[in-house]
Amino acid sequence: MKNLRLKAARAALDLSQEELAKKCGVSRQTMSAIEKGDYNPTINLCIAICRALHKTLDELFWEEEA
Amino acid sequence: MMAWGLVAGIMVGLVIAFILLRAANTNHRMKSDYDERQERIRGKAYMYAFYTMMIYEAAMVVLKAGEIVFPFEDYLAGFIGVILGCIVLGCYCIWHDVYWGLNNNRRRYYIIFGVIFALNLMPVVMQAASGTLIQDGKIGLPMLNILVIFMLAVFGIELLIKHFTDRSRGEED
Repeated sequence: MKNLRLKAARAALDLSQEELAKKCGVSRQTMSAIEKGDYNPTINLCIAICRALHKTLDELFWEEEA
Repeated sequence: MMAWGLVAGIMVGLVIAFILLRAANTNHRMKSDYDERQERIRGKAYMYAFYTMMIYEAAMVVLKAGEIVFPFEDYLAGFIGVILGCIVLGCYCIWHDVYWGLNNNRRRYYIIFGVIFALNLMPVVMQAASGTLIQDGKIGLPMLNILVIFMLAVFGIELLIKHFTDRSRGEED
């Protein structure tokens, strides 16, 4: 499932995938895979992304049960 | 005599590779750094490369038992397996976007690949021009160069296909 909240948070800070990836110490392709839902990041990477985007884990990664 | 020449060639190649790799990485370390997704994909790629080499070796045992004559010298059979493994490893990584490490200077890597391609093409062209590429119906040492050229060509073609498929998908760059 696509992570649209991550994409929106990144866009709100006017960051490209490349820029966010660099802040988090990963490749642009990895950031793209996370946004597309093709890759589930480890908790360490989730935290790094949240710190870079000034968001909490809940705000970016928590999924409510349907 | 030829064995010592081969060993010397491999040693010189390793030293050159060591120097080039250190120069090609932005942090001047020989090893490329990868992120967690890339490490995971690379783990799978190594697994498939290992399976490929195992299947190849098993197939070679069967073929040799059947006394099949190959168009290359016997001592090259092992190296062909290594190259096949490298092709599988590289192709899997390229297809899953794991072709660049975090510390790679892409421009320098392109130059290195170009140099490797040229260095391997030269002996093949020279031997082909002098008519000594095939002796007694078999290709000798230049087979190593041909295999490396083939591997680089496969990677180049796959990179082009990947580039165009990503572009048609409209992936953000």
